Amino acid sequence: MKENANSTRRSFLKSGLVLAPLTAVGPPRVLADDGLKARLARLEDEAAIGKLHQAWLRQINSGASDALLSMFTAQGFAFGHTVRNIAADQAGEPDAIAVEPNGKSAAGRFHCAIEIEDAIPQDCTLARMAHAQGGGFVRRTWRGVLKVEYVKARGAWTIARVELVSV
Amino acid sequence: MPKTPYPKEQMHRIAYTKLSQQQIAAKLSGVKGPASVSAFSDVFSGQSIRIVTDKGPALTYTFGRNNRLSLAENGAGAVDAGYGALTLNNIGFFSHLIAGTQRGYSIVIDQDTNLATVFELWFSGYQDNREVQREIYYGYVEQPGRPAPTARHVPTNRVEGKGFYWKQDTGAETLEFYPSAAYSHFIELSRFGGELGFCGPSDYVKINDDLYIYTRTECEFSGTFTLYVMDLNRIEQIGVRLGFDANDALEYYLFRGKGEWLGQLAQFEKFGDETGSPVPPAANGETPAKGARRVYRPFKTMPKMSKAEVDAVCAKKTTAFAPASGPGASMGGNLGPATNWLAGKRLTLRYDNAPAMEYRFDDAETLQWRRESDSNWTKARYRAWESMPGVILFGHLLEGVPNHDGHSIVVDFDQGLVTCFNGYLNTPYYANEAGVKTLFGVIEMEGLIPPKYNRHYFTDEMVGRAVSQNYAPGLTSMHLYSTPHSLSWIIFTTSDAGGLEWSGPAAYVKIREGLYFLYWLEEACNGTLGTILVNLHTMRDVGVGYHCGEEGLSMSAVGAHERLAGRFDIMRFYQVTTSGRIV
Repeated sequence: MKENANSTRRSFLKSGLVLAPLTAVGPPRVLADDGLKARLARLEDEAAIGKLHQAWLRQINSGASDALLSMFTAQGFAFGHTVRNIAADQAGEPDAIAVEPNGKSAAGRFHCAIEIEDAIPQDCTLARMAHAQGGGFVRRTWRGVLKVEYVKARGAWTIARVELVSV
Repeated sequence: MPKTPYPKEQMHRIAYTKLSQQQIAAKLSGVKGPASVSAFSDVFSGQSIRIVTDKGPALTYTFGRNNRLSLAENGAGAVDAGYGALTLNNIGFFSHLIAGTQRGYSIVIDQDTNLATVFELWFSGYQDNREVQREIYYGYVEQPGRPAPTARHVPTNRVEGKGFYWKQDTGAETLEFYPSAAYSHFIELSRFGGELGFCGPSDYVKINDDLYIYTRTECEFSGTFTLYVMDLNRIEQIGVRLGFDANDALEYYLFRGKGEWLGQLAQFEKFGDETGSPVPPAANGETPAKGARRVYRPFKTMPKMSKAEVDAVCAKKTTAFAPASGPGASMGGNLGPATNWLAGKRLTLRYDNAPAMEYRFDDAETLQWRRESDSNWTKARYRAWESMPGVILFGHLLEGVPNHDGHSIVVDFDQGLVTCFNGYLNTPYYANEAGVKTLFGVIEMEGLIPPKYNRHYFTDEMVGRAVSQNYAPGLTSMHLYSTPHSLSWIIFTTSDAGGLEWSGPAAYVKIREGLYFLYWLEEACNGTLGTILVNLHTMRDVGVGYHCGEEGLSMSAVGAHERLAGRFDIMRFYQVTTSGRIV
């Protein structure tokens, strides 16, 4: 697989598991075994994770650094492509965030449409001219599911791993 | 003696002098102002104006008598210069250089709106000093006591697709086509005999729905800059030409011209998209330098190889119809299915103007060939496609021949005719640059009686047409068949605007009604010979490319979906008169 060395945007890595710099502060965990309080805490965790996800998407779509993208692991999907945009797939299933009972980890599933870009090989005059004018790539939109793992440390939620799988 | 002014060397073959900054300074030192065949206008005489631009200079002009002006840039001290001015309806246009420098201004003012577009021009701004650089500033003429206007002249694609015949007051006649929003294509009828067309990066600026500004820089050639305002209804122009000709003489003159409308090609941008400058001046994330623009510089970048180097690289790597990742494979993305009709057949292609070629087709991808007088057969990989029933295009390389020939062949089994574009290397300018011979003849095979006199023939039926080709996702271009002997290719941007453009020698052969076999040579470019069989019924082309570069010799398949993009009415400009010159 070949990375687009000329891309000014970001590419999926072939593998890797890197902690994300993004964090979201969640509610202090309530020790009392009060059903209502626990439910409230879970809802607040879900809301915090939802905000974290939106912030992450904004960073991706506004041209995030490669470091931010290095959290991607793609399973048989999108290897070697440059990601241009990730948007919620309104035709897909609703977002799902599940917080573990201990409140220290969580998982999210987000159906999304991912715009990817492939550089066209410069093996002919047309392709070379297309590159020379700032083009020379093909963009496509793939539909998939972002499977995100979150961990909570020092009261803040952090993205631990993002996996993109095809639907 | 022939009266058609064919040049000794075509524009792409002229070895323009690499003028030094000192040489250019010396040539500019005595310039008092632009010349003009038409009388200069005194529209600015006696006036003082201040031109304010958005991201550029504020220019204070005082126009005196006898075509003299003084200029203060950004409030600095005034300098005197000779200038010339012309008017076209409500447009005032003037141009001047600044003494002691290699720069100047050419300025368009709409006297109805007081909007101004300023072109700053300079030499010695690129590694080839003679290439005129330009920066465009949009602004207005300050009106004391009145607020600054918010409107501006704007870059536009509204000129894209148009074409005009122009005749300047100098007598210079051209055909000028604007099939791109970033480039243009021009045929020098009176200077170069109209045999070939050439291309240059261009600007298109909208003054209003009738009036537009056009520029062209003859990059990769003389570097000469042309700017004019054109009235699309009256088909009149006023403008300036600045640069050094093939003899390094300064051309700096204003001109007035009249023309004829030649037609309108289709545009492929989304409806409502009228934006100009579709090619960004610098790469993503980079701040463009003053005057920056994307310029296609094929001559600068092409490998220029000797015969020994060609022989060596051909011996090292020769590829015919490589798999999907091989040389030129991108151009075959929309190939139709190959045919195996030739498999198992034997035939002779008897050319009128070349040795007959005998063929044994072993299977759908392997053939054996020999010249009729030879005893040994040579194996070659080939591919074949049936474009119309009974008409097959196939191609193969001729390994072992001195000039590393490749044949792109249309065999017409209905008529018993064959036409071959015989590509070859070791050409006079650069050994890796392809040349081509067109071979006409007949097919001899069992069960087929060929004609005695009938042949495929060169045609001008394609001249003036524009046809777009989509070779693969992201690879879309358009051919403009602009003269009987050359074509231009335009590369679409991601917004489907016409972008970079180039051109080369070409020829067109009629196979059948609606079926044309044509070639183009990417001379002083990358040396490729492109051949395609254009089927105007199915709007599909198929062909082969023949190329030699540092990576080796290759023949590759070409296939595209096409769209008709319109036609210019231009054949009348190529009619030969009884006096021996073109009209």
